[in-house]
Amino acid sequence: MKVAAPNCDYGGTMKAIEALDELTVKFTLCSPDPAFPYKIAGDSFAILDSDYLDATGGDSNKISENPVGTGPYKLKEWKRGESITLEAFADYWGDKAKTRTAVLRWSKEAAQRLLELQSGNADGISNLGPDDFETVEKDSSLRLIEVPAANIFYIGFNNTIPPFDDDRVRLAFAYGINRQRIVEDYYPRGSVVATSFVPTSFAVGASPNVPWHEYNPEKAKELLKEAGKENLEVTLTYRDVVRSYLPNPGVVAQEIQAQLKEIGVNVKIEVKESGAFLDSVTAGKEAFYLLGWGADYPDATNFLDYHFGPENKQFGKPYDDIVALLKEGASTADRAKRRSAYDKVNELLKRYVPMIPVAHGGSALAFRADVEGAHANPVSALVFAVMAPPRDKLVYVQNAEPISLNCADESDGETFTACAQIFETLLRFKIGTAEVEPALAESYESNADLTEWTFKLRPGVKFHNGATLDANDVVATMAAQWDAKNPNHKGRTGNFEYWTAYFGSFLNSK
Amino acid sequence: MQPTGAALRSVEPNQGPLPFCAQSPFGRAVRRLLRNRSAQAGLAIVVTLVLIALFADIIAPYAYDQQIRQPGLRRRSPPCIHVLGCEREKPQLLMGLDGNFRDLFSRVIYGARLSLQIGFVTTGTAILIGTLIGAVAGYLGGWADMVLMRAMDVLLAFPSLLLAIAIVSVLGPGLINTLLAVAIVSIPVYARVVRASVLEVKEKDYILASSALGASPWRILLMHVMPNSLTPVIVVGTLGIATAILDAAGLSFLGLGAQPPTPEWGLMLGEERNSVFNAPHLVLFPGVAIMVTVLGFNLLGDGLRDALDPRRRV
Repeated sequence: MKVAAPNCDYGGTMKAIEALDELTVKFTLCSPDPAFPYKIAGDSFAILDSDYLDATGGDSNKISENPVGTGPYKLKEWKRGESITLEAFADYWGDKAKTRTAVLRWSKEAAQRLLELQSGNADGISNLGPDDFETVEKDSSLRLIEVPAANIFYIGFNNTIPPFDDDRVRLAFAYGINRQRIVEDYYPRGSVVATSFVPTSFAVGASPNVPWHEYNPEKAKELLKEAGKENLEVTLTYRDVVRSYLPNPGVVAQEIQAQLKEIGVNVKIEVKESGAFLDSVTAGKEAFYLLGWGADYPDATNFLDYHFGPENKQFGKPYDDIVALLKEGASTADRAKRRSAYDKVNELLKRYVPMIPVAHGGSALAFRADVEGAHANPVSALVFAVMAPPRDKLVYVQNAEPISLNCADESDGETFTACAQIFETLLRFKIGTAEVEPALAESYESNADLTEWTFKLRPGVKFHNGATLDANDVVATMAAQWDAKNPNHKGRTGNFEYWTAYFGSFLNSK
Repeated sequence: MQPTGAALRSVEPNQGPLPFCAQSPFGRAVRRLLRNRSAQAGLAIVVTLVLIALFADIIAPYAYDQQIRQPGLRRRSPPCIHVLGCEREKPQLLMGLDGNFRDLFSRVIYGARLSLQIGFVTTGTAILIGTLIGAVAGYLGGWADMVLMRAMDVLLAFPSLLLAIAIVSVLGPGLINTLLAVAIVSIPVYARVVRASVLEVKEKDYILASSALGASPWRILLMHVMPNSLTPVIVVGTLGIATAILDAAGLSFLGLGAQPPTPEWGLMLGEERNSVFNAPHLVLFPGVAIMVTVLGFNLLGDGLRDALDPRRRV
């Protein structure tokens, strides 16, 4: 089986996906991509059985009802609005799940999640409240696991909506925001003041030699005066959703309001519903907003390309010089060349101020101390299969219900927690790290210029329905996302956000 | 012989105006109200609240959006009262600091002003519109009654808070829209009460007499029917203020009402709901403030009902 694009002018970077033999798959790209192994390890690219995929037509609703993957757990029951129960899969190819039954539940309130943990109803909880770190640490029956800050919280502007179409106003705001104070006062420990958009822990992308504008309210006032924008009235929008990059949305919004008041800007705060807010930001309709980004893989491309690429409208009109430099930085594996490209990008971001990078937020999970194998993953979902409480089931409470169990067409972390237990990818992230290791693929290799990636599949891998994994399953799974004319290209919304974010346009999309 | 003289004087007719509280129905009602225990308590609470609201600028030590930053002073700090042994170097914080370094006491005080405004404005608006609708429906009867009261029934068919949430969702969140929503959902209550008492009053002899003398229907409605039907509205209105404050706080708690940094009690409660275990003072004080206010208006309303009830005139 082979799916190929006639040429590379269709807007995407994938050229062909081909089954070379029963257990070998080759991906051919239009341009070099050093991050390809990380991308393919994302939960959105989990492998489905091709017959099962045809039977469901790739419909997320049908897949959610009866998900068939290769993972250590299979779905037992999804009580909507209440819980998801998983049961160990007896024919799993690797180490079998340590606990037979795993239950995933959710609660929006941090205080309630903590209460569930303290009372013993839960073995682990996500997004511990920033003020609860001490409580957990003092309690010897609980265990705190900190998650490294691989994310960014930023204050976004849209350069086409007044008054933010004036460069001086955005720059004035950059001088008027005291990022140090925000992080010190409102972020849990493990958080870092952001000096650039990309976390400093990444090998490339951050530029310590190009630090962000220093806090300088006097200069901010001068700039506003120069722009003739004194006594400015603006509306700040955000969603009241707790993320590791923004653990305290409400108080941080009010802190920004208070800080800007000092430079003579009156801020009105407006909380929006999460989905509507994200849609509005993506459509370029929000003028001044709080948002962030969590890493999918530890590379600059994951942060910069998505936000400052040519397609993104969230900051208004994209900056052509940044777009060109990003392309330069993404198409080589040479670190020195990439660093110099990203240093220039950071210089330009500092000059244009499409956003103010504020913080890389630390966060933590909490577990009962007796849970064996408790861990936290910096960029990927938690792995239930390696955890074992001395009880007959594992209960994990996170902050929201998964949207579906077909992660191909999903993008939020809460949804990935569920499907990552049921489905598997060619490569996966090693527990507790952001490095990839073989999963459904035993090994992989690329050609010298990083455009051809060949994966050797693990023999004898069984799906939950008894089918055996082969190369055609991989091609069929990828084709369903890539090819807009494929009968299985359905999903939930049909957006397949990760595919388009990583590999550009769909095949046959016009 | 003072007593005898006084007694004599009161029996004699045409001896000038009577002492204020002796005979007038208003005076009698006030006296009965003041004798009622629950009304006393309610009135005391309401008067205190009104005073706090009026003099909030003087009572509150800080502005409601002022951040108090000092080395060693953490956000969500517990109350610090010097008399109770808190260190003198620290600023006195009667109710502690909130999540944004602001003095909670000042915010609760300013919140009283806001809550009373919400209560009076919404109830006032609702009474004005509701009374008009009820009076017209009751007095005119016929199809006007039919149309108006069925419309009110439709509004009453929804749970009030749910309807308010629906209205706010359409209009968009914000304090003004919340006032509007809460006012709209309380209109039917007043319309019904006024209509019932108008129906009762309009059959009275003095109305027939006025009508026989040739007074226009509007004159009769405004001069005779309305004043005599207002008693129940006063009672329901007082209780309604409590409900309005509670509804507005509920909407703000859900993030649909007042927007930050407005010191609205419901909003303060909602913002800090996750601090209930590690900074309980942040939910305790605004919660108590709402409770006391609602209790005050409810007690006063109950007292008014007892005082104004004609069946209890002895």
